[in-house]
Amino acid sequence: MKLFYLPDLGEGLAEAEIHEWYIKEGDIVKVDQPMVSMETAKAVVDVPAPQAGKIVKLYGKKGDIIPTHAPLVEFESDEEPMSKDKGTVVGALLESTALLDEGNVIIGAAKKTGMTAKAMPAVRALAKQLNVDLNSITPTGPEGQITTDDVKKAAAPHSRLTGNVETLHGVRRSMAMVMTQSHQEIVPVTIMEDADVTQIKSDFTVVLLQAMVSAAQAEPSLNAWYDGKNMERCLHREVNVGLAMDTEEGLFVPVLKDVLNKSAAELRTQIDAFKTSVRSRTISPSDLQGATITLSNFGTIAGRYANPIIVPPMVAILGCGKLRDEVCARNGMMEIRRIAPLSLSFDHRAVTGGEATRFLAAVINYLEN
Amino acid sequence: MAEMTLVEAINQALAFEMQADPDVVVLGEDIAKNGGVFRATVGLLDKFGPERVRDTPLAESMIAGLAIGMAIAGLKPVAEFQFMGFIYPGLDQIINHAARIRNRTRGKMSCPVVFRTPYGSGIRAPEHHSESTEALFAHIPGLRVVMPSSPARAYGLLLASIRNPDPVIFLEPSRLYRWAKQDVPDNGKALPLDVCFTLRTGEDVTLVTWGSLVKETLAAAEKLSKEGIHAEVIDIATIKPLDMETILASVERTGRCIIIHEAARTCGVGAEISAQIAEKGLLFLKAPVQRITGYDTVVPYARLEKFYLPTEENIIEAVQQIMEFA
Repeated sequence: MKLFYLPDLGEGLAEAEIHEWYIKEGDIVKVDQPMVSMETAKAVVDVPAPQAGKIVKLYGKKGDIIPTHAPLVEFESDEEPMSKDKGTVVGALLESTALLDEGNVIIGAAKKTGMTAKAMPAVRALAKQLNVDLNSITPTGPEGQITTDDVKKAAAPHSRLTGNVETLHGVRRSMAMVMTQSHQEIVPVTIMEDADVTQIKSDFTVVLLQAMVSAAQAEPSLNAWYDGKNMERCLHREVNVGLAMDTEEGLFVPVLKDVLNKSAAELRTQIDAFKTSVRSRTISPSDLQGATITLSNFGTIAGRYANPIIVPPMVAILGCGKLRDEVCARNGMMEIRRIAPLSLSFDHRAVTGGEATRFLAAVINYLEN
Repeated sequence: MAEMTLVEAINQALAFEMQADPDVVVLGEDIAKNGGVFRATVGLLDKFGPERVRDTPLAESMIAGLAIGMAIAGLKPVAEFQFMGFIYPGLDQIINHAARIRNRTRGKMSCPVVFRTPYGSGIRAPEHHSESTEALFAHIPGLRVVMPSSPARAYGLLLASIRNPDPVIFLEPSRLYRWAKQDVPDNGKALPLDVCFTLRTGEDVTLVTWGSLVKETLAAAEKLSKEGIHAEVIDIATIKPLDMETILASVERTGRCIIIHEAARTCGVGAEISAQIAEKGLLFLKAPVQRITGYDTVVPYARLEKFYLPTEENIIEAVQQIMEFA
């Protein structure tokens, strides 16, 4: 079956109306035999048959409008009818009758929507790094450019305290920094347990120090330093206990060096000396350095348990709460016993739970026996 | 509604201006009796006669020279080169004469000629029918280079080109000749030369393109909008003189720019746009300016053509990449 399309009847007309058919379906036509008369906007013209053959279909009836290049008649013939104009002599064009809707085309630029930040790429990179929104900055550079300084200023804390504000100095400042560092770096776990200290009649703080030494010998991994950046740890033979001391100026942690090789009397003398030197602010810097583990005897003031904060590079701190008398079950009887509540924090990056609990058990064992 | 293809809009513009201005004549190979290789001039011979619609011998240097002579003598010739790859024998005439007459005669003479030619690949034709060497002409002082991308702009810009008192290289995207239809009223209204057209507005990235790749760029922008990335699409339409104001105003808002062209990469028009953004728009850039272009090779034969032409996917990918900057 071959289709014959309505040719352009002259002057680029888009369509024509069927005026009269001279043939009907089933007719055999000769070449150039008039098939139909078509009425255009200008004239009525006859359309001749492009080839001989049998007509099997007429596309439209009298009065119908046929677009140029739309099918007009169908031949049964196998001969090639006039082919549709491909519109080119080489290649093949994309072709469709789809309508192009370009919407609202703007000749020139779209409307400006407010001011845009002007900044060199390096300044933009800095702003990104410091998490600063360039659009919130008042530029001070030439031609309204945002400068590096503008970004840095904007990155500084926006809302500062007002009123009676003081800047932290000295130990209070260093406590703030060390605690922040600890909170950012360390993975702390705190375990708590009570020790029965009824039978301890002597200097409790000194006994506690000795208990820590004993425990450090049982579990050396808590008497250690840990460097998280390089994943390195250092176990210490000497036990140097930092003893937390509260003052008006802030927290001091003087270090009792080599507790293992010191007598109870020596330790007490040293503690008292620290108390005096801390209060008078005459303690030497070397006495504040080199701790391998910390003791916070906060119970001398108040509080039962705590989650003491480890000071890096140390990996453990033992806290002791306020001693109390408690009714306990002992050998099937109720007894009033002296109880010391202990809280041990350890850095779980460097210390296992087993090591920590064995350490705590060793402390308790020392205190109770 | 006068719905027509791009090539029909070219025809409509020629017919309108020939009707309106008796000085307008058309000439070229097979343009009269045959109606042009792509049928751009079909029907003009019947309507305006052989004096004004002339078939020429197969000699492009002669076509260019003849048209320039007609223009200097007071006519407004519109000469057709069958394909952009055939224009080169006419280059001496175009560069040494058409582009320089006004300067050479200190303004006493001008050369109101339009050189029309289809450009670009994607129609499965041999390579010298497929090129896109607009940068070659944009480099020549004294020439305007215009490249429409829709039937409406083809009509309006061709009218403007014919009415322009200086030579215009009018490059028609053959791939879009019959791609789609658009309502183009035959009202004789010219569009402004030397100004970009913003086809789509957006705040995230500016996509600058022209000619046949406007199609892929708009499609990419539509897909990107579904991802929440809003691209502004600028059809620069007139390659020379280049309306950098529109491009810079857009980049100022978006901070990102990708230039998409079919021509080979090296020394393409994209390089010029990128350089001007670096000179005048650096302070607004949030990411490096990117170019998506054809390759520095001859356009391959039909089977490889699709690997040569930038695609919708290329554009989407490049946008996604530069969105990761600041």
